[in-house]
Amino acid sequence: MKQKNLFLSILYTILPALSVVCLFILWYSVSNQRPDLIPTPADTWERFLLTFEKPIMRLSFFEHILASLRRVITALMFSWVFGILIGTVIGWTKTGRALVGSVFNMLRPIPPLAWIPLITIWFGIGEAPKVLIVIIGSIVPVIVNTQSGMERVEQLYLDVGRVFHANNRQLLFEIALPSALTTIMAGIKTSTSTGWMVVLAAEMLGAKSGVGFLITRGMDSGDTALVLVAMIAIGVVGALLAVLISLIERMVCPWLRKK
Amino acid sequence: MAEKKVILKLDGLSKRFQTKNGDVEAVHEVSLEVRDNEFLVLLGPGRCGKTVLLNLIAGLEPPTEGNIFLDGQAISGTHNSIGMVFQKTGMLPWKTVMQNVELGPKLAGEDKKSRRERAQKYIELVGLKGFEKSYPAELSGGMKQRVGIARAYANNPEILLMDEPFGALDAQTRYAMEDELIRIWEKERRTVIFVTNNIEEAAYLGDRIVLFSECPARVKQIYDIDLPRPRNNVDPKFLHIRQMIAENTDLAL
Repeated sequence: MKQKNLFLSILYTILPALSVVCLFILWYSVSNQRPDLIPTPADTWERFLLTFEKPIMRLSFFEHILASLRRVITALMFSWVFGILIGTVIGWTKTGRALVGSVFNMLRPIPPLAWIPLITIWFGIGEAPKVLIVIIGSIVPVIVNTQSGMERVEQLYLDVGRVFHANNRQLLFEIALPSALTTIMAGIKTSTSTGWMVVLAAEMLGAKSGVGFLITRGMDSGDTALVLVAMIAIGVVGALLAVLISLIERMVCPWLRKK
Repeated sequence: MAEKKVILKLDGLSKRFQTKNGDVEAVHEVSLEVRDNEFLVLLGPGRCGKTVLLNLIAGLEPPTEGNIFLDGQAISGTHNSIGMVFQKTGMLPWKTVMQNVELGPKLAGEDKKSRRERAQKYIELVGLKGFEKSYPAELSGGMKQRVGIARAYANNPEILLMDEPFGALDAQTRYAMEDELIRIWEKERRTVIFVTNNIEEAAYLGDRIVLFSECPARVKQIYDIDLPRPRNNVDPKFLHIRQMIAENTDLAL
C-alpha cells in the first residue's frame, strides 16, 4: 500500500516533465523532417543567442519582454483597482446594478481588439492606447468575478454581521468583500492571463517594442526562428506570471493555505 | 423560589411568510417571559418555527405581529445585548479564531488591546487556548461551536440565543459539548435561550422547557425542571420528565 503511494507520487512528479519532453521530441522530429514548416530546436536556440549580439530596434530580447511586461502590469493595476470597484458597485448595490449592470453587459462581449480603430483615432499610437486596450480586456474578468462573489455572499455570514451590529460599511468591508475574495482572486488570475494575451495582440498591430512586435517582425522578414523564440518566451513568461499570482493569492487569502 | 426578574418579554409574536402557495404562518401568537440568567430551552418537533422565533428575537427578521421587550423597552432590529450562536456555527472562514471571537467588540469600535484581552479570556474559557491563530477550516465541528460560544460571550450580551448549536455534531461530541456549555454558563451566567428538537438535550440543559406545537409554532406547555446539575440522564426522575414531555410532543412528519 505504502509502496503504491510512493510510486504514484513519483509518477505525478515525473509526468509534467515527461509531457514537456514529449512536446519537445515532437517538435524535434517534425522540424527535422520538414524544416520549411518549423525551425529546428538548434536553429531556434541560435536565433535566441543572436538577439543578444544583434538587438532588434535597438532593444535586447529581454528589453522587449520587459516592454510588454510594463504595459501589462500598468494595465493590470488599473484593472484590479477599478474592476473590483465596479464589480462591487454592480454586485452589492441595487442602484449600481440597475445603472451600470446593463451597460457593462453590452460592452462586455466586444473583444478588446475591436476597440483598436477607435482608440487609435482617439489616442494615436503611443503607449497609452496599448495599455488602454489591455485594460479593456483584463478588467472584464475582474468585474464579472467580483460581481458574482458579491452577489453570492452567504446569508449566514451577513446574519452574523447583523447580529454583531455591523453597519452597512462594516457589512461590506468585514463580511462581504472578504467572503468574495477567493472569487475575486480567481478573476485576477484570469485577468492576468487575458492581459498577457491582449498586450501581445495589441503589439502585433503596431509597436516598436515588445514580444508581440518581435512576432510581427519575424513574420514580415520570413524569420520563423525569431517567431518561435518569441512564442516560447510568451509561454514561459505567461506561466511565470501565473505562478506569481498564485503566490499573491496565498498571501492575500492565508486561510486557504493550510487546507 | 422567589419570582425572578423578567429580562425579555415576548408579547403576541406572530410571523407569516408569503409563498407561492399563499401565506404560511411559522409562529403563532407566542407570548413568553424570559427570566434573568435562566437557561430556557425552546423545544419543538422537526420543522416548526423555533428558528424563526429565534430570528425574531435576534432582530434578523421583523415579526408580522407582536412586540419584544428587553428590560421593559420595546426593541426592533438587532441589539447589542442579544448575542447568537448559530446552528451552522457561522464561523467566518477568512478570520482566525481570535479574529472571529473579537468580531463583536471590533465592529463596536472597541480598541484592539481591550477587545483582544476579553476575546482571549473567552477563548480560554471555552478551552481553545493555543488555537487563537488557527483558521476555522482547521478546527473540528465541536471546536468551531466552542468558538461560536466564545464569540457570542465576547460581545458581553445579556441574552444568548442558541439555535440548535449542537445539531450537526455526532452524539459523543454533543454530550461533551452539553457539559461544556453548562460549565461555561455556570461560570459566566447569562440568560440563555436554547433551541433544540432533542427532548433529552432539553431536559439535560434547561431550567425551564417551553414545548412548542408543530407548525405554526405556538406554546403548548412550559415545564420547570428542578433537577440539580450535573444531571444524570439515566436517573429515574430525569427519565420521567423525558417521558412526560415525549408523550406531549407532536409527531413531526
